[in-house]
This record gives sequence, C-alpha cells and structure tokens, in this order.
Amino acid sequence: MNKLYKANLIFIFLLIIIFTTVAGAEGEVNLYTNRHYDTDELLLQEFEEDTGIMVNVLKGGSDELIEKIAREGKDTSADLLITADAGRLHRAKTMGLLQPVKSKVLFNNIPKNLRDEENYWFGLTIRGRVVVYAKNRVNEADLSSYEDLIDEKWNGKILVRSSSNIYNQSLLASFIELYGRDWAVNWAEGIVKNMARKPQGNDRDQATAVVAGQGDIAIMNTYYLGKMLNSTNQEEVKVAKQLEIFFPKKTHINVSGIGLTRHAKNKENAVRLIEYLTSKKAQEMFAKANFEYPVNNEVKPSELLKSWGEFKTQDINLSSLGENNKEAYMIFNQVGWK
Amino acid sequence: MLNKIGFNNKWSVISLIIIIFIILPSVFIFLGLFEQASDNWVHIKTYLLKDYVFNSFILTFFTGLFSIIIGVSLAWIVNAYDFKFSNFFKWALILPMAIPPYIGSYTYVGLLNYTGVIQTFFRNNLSIIIDPSLLNIMNLPGAIFIYTIFLYPYVYLITNAFFKKQSASIIEVSKTLGKGSFEIFLKVMLPLSRGAYVGGATLVVLEVLNDYGVVKYFGISTFSTSIFQTWFALGDTNSAIKLSASLMILVFIILVIERISRGDKKYNHSSRSVKPLKPYKLKGKKSWAMFFFPAAIFLIGFLVPVAQLIHWSIISYGNITKLNIISILFNSIGVSFIGSILVIIAAVIIANTVRVNKDILTKNYARIAIMGYSIPGAVIAIGVMMFFLKLDSSINMVTNYDIGLILSTSIFMLIFAYFIRFLAIGFNSVESGFQKVGSNYFEASRTLGKSITETFFKVDLPMLKPSLISGFLLVSIEILKELPLTLILRPFNFNTLATRAFEYANDEMIHESAVLSLILIIVSVILIYTLTSYKKKGKR
Repeated sequence: MNKLYKANLIFIFLLIIIFTTVAGAEGEVNLYTNRHYDTDELLLQEFEEDTGIMVNVLKGGSDELIEKIAREGKDTSADLLITADAGRLHRAKTMGLLQPVKSKVLFNNIPKNLRDEENYWFGLTIRGRVVVYAKNRVNEADLSSYEDLIDEKWNGKILVRSSSNIYNQSLLASFIELYGRDWAVNWAEGIVKNMARKPQGNDRDQATAVVAGQGDIAIMNTYYLGKMLNSTNQEEVKVAKQLEIFFPKKTHINVSGIGLTRHAKNKENAVRLIEYLTSKKAQEMFAKANFEYPVNNEVKPSELLKSWGEFKTQDINLSSLGENNKEAYMIFNQVGWK
Repeated sequence: MLNKIGFNNKWSVISLIIIIFIILPSVFIFLGLFEQASDNWVHIKTYLLKDYVFNSFILTFFTGLFSIIIGVSLAWIVNAYDFKFSNFFKWALILPMAIPPYIGSYTYVGLLNYTGVIQTFFRNNLSIIIDPSLLNIMNLPGAIFIYTIFLYPYVYLITNAFFKKQSASIIEVSKTLGKGSFEIFLKVMLPLSRGAYVGGATLVVLEVLNDYGVVKYFGISTFSTSIFQTWFALGDTNSAIKLSASLMILVFIILVIERISRGDKKYNHSSRSVKPLKPYKLKGKKSWAMFFFPAAIFLIGFLVPVAQLIHWSIISYGNITKLNIISILFNSIGVSFIGSILVIIAAVIIANTVRVNKDILTKNYARIAIMGYSIPGAVIAIGVMMFFLKLDSSINMVTNYDIGLILSTSIFMLIFAYFIRFLAIGFNSVESGFQKVGSNYFEASRTLGKSITETFFKVDLPMLKPSLISGFLLVSIEILKELPLTLILRPFNFNTLATRAFEYANDEMIHESAVLSLILIIVSVILIYTLTSYKKKGKR
C-alpha cells in the first residue's frame, strides 16, 4: 500500500509540474471548445504534425467556457473558443471577449452569411433544425413550414425537447428575427398545445418516441439522424430507417463556430488553426464525422446528407440568434414550454 | 481547564487559517447579493420559481423517504438475520453508490426505451408491443427512482454501522419482554437509529439538491438547473446568486430539521464493552425469502446497470479512438488521492481544535467546515475561480512581474474546490472518530505533561486511524464521481473518467460513454471493497 501511495504522490507532482509549465511554452495554441468529438482530436493531432504547433484543449459547456474567459480577463490562457451555437459566439463577442480576424483565406473559405458581419467569429460546420416524421404515418405533402406545425391537425403529435436546450432557443430566436416577437409567442404557444408529451430527453429520444408511436413528428437536428443510422445498436438503426427528414420552407440552420479571443497570446498560431479547420482537407473530415454540412463551398456534403436532399435556409445573419436569445428564453417560460 | 487553552496553540492558528480559506470563495459570491435585483429576477419569480420549489421539494422529500425505508430495512436485515449470502450483501448493498446518478439515468433510459433491450425483446421475439409510456422514466417519479436506487447506500452505510455497534443486550431484553423480531425493529431499533438514518438521509437530500445531470436530461427544472441557466444562459450573476441564496436557505432549514429530528444524543451507545449483535439464523425457505429483498435491490441498483454498460462497452469499443484511458484513469485517481488526503488532514486539525477549545468561535468551526457540501457545485466553482484569479493578480502585483495566471490555470484550483466541497464528508468521519475515542485518554496524557501535539500523535492518532481511513475512502469515491467542479475548473488537456463519460453522454453517444463509466465504477467498487474490508479488520 505504501509503495502505491508513494508512486501516486510522485505522479501527482509530475502532473502539477507539467500543467504549470505547459502554459509558458512556445509554438502552441490554446483552445477552449464545446465540441467533444474524437474526430476533432484527430484533426488537431494532424494540425500538430503538419505545423509543429501544439494544441492545448480545454473542453466544457459553452456557457461555462465563456464565463471562464470573461473571469480570466486580459490574462486568459484561451486563444480560441469553439461553440456549437452561433448565438453563444455572438454573446462572447458582445461581452468583448473576441477580436476580429482579417484573413483572405477565411473570407475565401467561408461564405458571408456563415461568419460574423465584422469577422469576430467564423462558422465551421452547419446543421439544420428540421422536422423528422414517421414514414408510415405521415404524408410528406402535409408538411410545409414551421408555422404549419401549430395547425390543429398536429394536435398531440409533436415531440420536442425542453426549452432549456440551446438549439430550441436559437430556433425561436430566428423566428423573432424573421417575423417579430408576437409571431414567435404565437408559434411557441401553438407548439406547446400540440405537444405529444411534456418535453423530456434529448434529440435522439424524440426520434425514438416517433417510431414508438408516442407522436408523429419530432423537431430535431439533422446530424442526430445520421448518428442513429450509424449507431452500434441495431435497434436504433432500425428506428432511424423508419424516419424521414423534412426540411421546412426556410430551414433554420446553425453552426459550430470559432472565434479568436481578444487577449489571445498566440494570435498567429490561432489564425493558422482556424484557417486549417476551414480548409478543404479538414472540412471533409470535420463535417463528415458528425454528419454535418461543411461551411466550405468547395467541399461536398457526404452521400448520406446528399440523399436527404437540398434545402433553402433562413435568410438571416446568425448573429441574430445571440441577439434574440434572452427574448426567446423568456417567451418559452411565458408560454409554459418546460 | 480545557477552555482556558484558548487561542494560543498551533492547532487553533492552523484551524483558523483553514477556516478563512473555506470562507473566502463564498465571500466573493455573497458580495453579489447586495446588488440590485435585475429584471430577470422578476421574470424568474413570475414564471419559474414555483416550479423550482415544487420539483426540488418533491424530489428531495420522496428520495429522502424512500432512501430511509430501503437503507434502514436493508441494514436491519443483514445485521439481524443470517440468511443465504447475507455476508455478501453486507458489502454488496453499498455498491450502487459506485454509480453516479447521471450515468445511472442514461443507462436506465437506454435500457427501458423503445430501442432498449426490454422493449426490443418483447417486440422482436414475442411480438408484444409495450406501451412506451409505461416504461418511460423521464419524469419526476423516474428521477426519484434513479436517485433512491443510487443514493440509498448513504443511509445504509451509516445505519449499518450503527446497528453493528448496538449491544445485543437491548435486543435480548426486548426478546425477554416477548417482542417478535419485527416488533423489535419497529419499536426499539427504529427509534434508536433515528440519528443515524436522518444523518444519512441528509446527505442524500443534499446530493439530490446538488445534482445537475439527471434533472437536466429528464427535463425537470430544479434549483440546480435554474442556477446554471440564469448564471450561464442569461448571463445574470445577480439572479443566480439570489437563487443560490434561496437554495441555501432551504438547505439550512433541512439541516435544522436534521438537528431536531436526530433527537437526544444520549441514545448513542458508545460504551466499549459492546457485545455485537448475533444474527438470527434462518433456514430453508425462510432463508431464501429473506434473500429476495436485498437481492432485488442489488440487482436494480448495481447488476442490471453494470450489465447494460458492459454490453454497450463491448459493442462500442471500436468506436473510441485515441482514448488514452490510462492517463485519464491516472488523472482521476491522482486528484482523488490528493484531494482526499488534504481533506482528511484539514478535518483532523479542525476536529481536534474543536475538541480542545471550547470557545464560541471554535464551536462554529464545525458548522463552517461542512458548509461547502450544501453549496451547489457550480456556485463553489465560480467562487473558487474568482478567488484564485484574485490571488493570481495579487501575486503579479507583489512580485511586480507580469507572470500571468499561474494558480488559476493549474490543477491546484480544482483540488482546492474539491477540498471545500467534500470537507464535510471527511469531517463527519473524523469527528465521529474523535467522539468514539472520547477525551479520557487525551486528558490523562495532558495531565502527564504532554503537549496537545504530542498527545495527538502518540495517543489520539493510532486510535483514530480507522475513522481516518474510512473518511479518506469516502471522499475519494466522491471526488472520483464529481462532475460540475471538474468541468469548470480543470486545466488544459485534463480529463477525468467522470468528465469524459459525461461528454460522450451529453453528445448523445451513450454507448461510447459506457467504457469510461465502467472503469469509473470499477475503481469505486475497489475503494468500497477496501473500505468494508478495512472496517472488518479494524473491528478485530
């Protein structure tokens, strides 16, 4: 036992030394990220090998990471922030935590609507928040727009997760931007009326509930269906095969995006990493791994995503998702969307 | 004579320093209380507060109640009867504690939902379609089930220890008075063990109030989810602090109720000449009948979820690339070890000071030491972060050299937060150890002219050892499972088993999270096994 303790102690001291010295070394870039996918790590590893720049990663919830950068102030060790929601990046921008990046490579790689107007942040991958329906019970012709979902014919048929979820908040925020507050209140109220059950579980749980017959349609993100189709659980694959994606008119999209922090210490390396992540080479893997759409136009979406068909997106600047977030959150509470 | 020692010994000084360190982060938080309420607060009060109070109350009340029912009855059964596998159950019934409730919740949902084993089996093999809402546990009763089944061991552990200590004479007297064994349990042992199980239930209730993972996944809004939401999503520190303050008032009320319902301490039988309870031997059918209840609980609370996790691990193992399991494992063990050692050292110092000094200031040390356990993890995290950032900027000012963030980017910040959060658990173990030892030996040694420090190392420490070890192991298990603090305060490139498992689960990749969950559970089980086998040895 004693030997074990000693070994442990030595190990801990080594750890401490490593963690306190790493922060000072050169040729590195520090990344706070909200994405946890293994493929992200492989990409970063490849970047390390290609450039010799070491990437240090701190993972966490996007809100917690933003709070952390804010608290750390000018001494922050973060150079880059990745979140899975444009609204959050916008919040970081308005809190004065980011700085603009001027890079021809980036302007070239990323279309204008998928980055901040003043280039404080850049989209990396795209996902849609769409309608998923049971092939055998719902006629595609009955589906048209998000607004149609509050029609009486869907009474007791809609499955959607809780409003504390950021994807729902951003969806409603986009409606506030497009059609105004009253429209958004009316829509949220209508959905609550048509819900098949109290909001619960995550997006995948909604899809499963459709097949289980608890409702007919689910509001969820595109990539979850991709994940289910490739699940290790054969039952889940079976479930996913009974479902179909419908892109409502003006489909709501959101991005995983990245921003350079205002007090970044490794600015040059950081910009290189953003450029790398939006490059043709990285985008193929980056988007494919999580069944998302690439932001780089030169990269084609995967076969699966192509098979879902093409769609028209909302014509808004994604920053508005952040601007209207609080309003959306409050509307959800008012109309009793749990 | 004792209370004249007052303030001029080393123990008091060190205790005071520790206490100040515990209080400081909370000061940073509560400075915010005096700011004016924002308009969000009005919104929260109008639309949300009622839900938070209602849900939190229902969850804590029923989880507490069921934990007591299950924990106490199990503790009684394994102590009072000798039946099939009763010795195995004595320690196996602690094992559900090894599974963090959030992992338990993902596992049970995965098991019971449409694509889970049960529904699939009926559907594919027997062509029976079960109404999915029957097996849906993502609601209040489901959350109560999850919390109860994975947290009741807190009640069981403490009550079990209490029953073991009870002198057999009480039972014998009751028996001579013609009482049946069930009656003895109900009328004699239950009232006697009140202090023990109320103490355990209080831990359970605090765990429930603090939990974030389960309620978030189930879509139930409670105080802890709302504090996260307002602090981070609304960016409204002020309202979040007000919510935390409301929660702490609630916790305070619970602790007062605990004090009152623990009742008279004289019940505690701590005489040294305890004749241990001799279990009543059951034979044949009766023995198997008694086997059923503990077996069912062990099955639901441990075997079933672990079996499910093993299954998922097998099918998903190939998907997990570049996982560095070894380094993640070492991180987890490392922080648990260091954190627990610090907790126990501090707990010993404070408990000894409390024992030696009887002044009012010192008396309150005990209260303050356990304060951290009642503050929500996220709140401690922010308090500690602000405190460390302040420390860093002071260092930079004093040294007059801009070295940037040293402490707040290191592992120290996280370990310090663990320290504050779990001091309560270590302190309770150590304090009860001191109570068992009593002060006779201490006073004798002092009369012989030994100093407090000498007395401690030569007289108290050897007798305290069992309590210290069990405190150390309990804290280790807690740190191993800890999530919110680790997520917010860890340094770069630092993963623990708990954070990694959570990340996968949170990304809706529950199968991929199974491997890590399983390793976490195995390590906890080893610690629990050490804990129980050590206790056995200590008794001899």
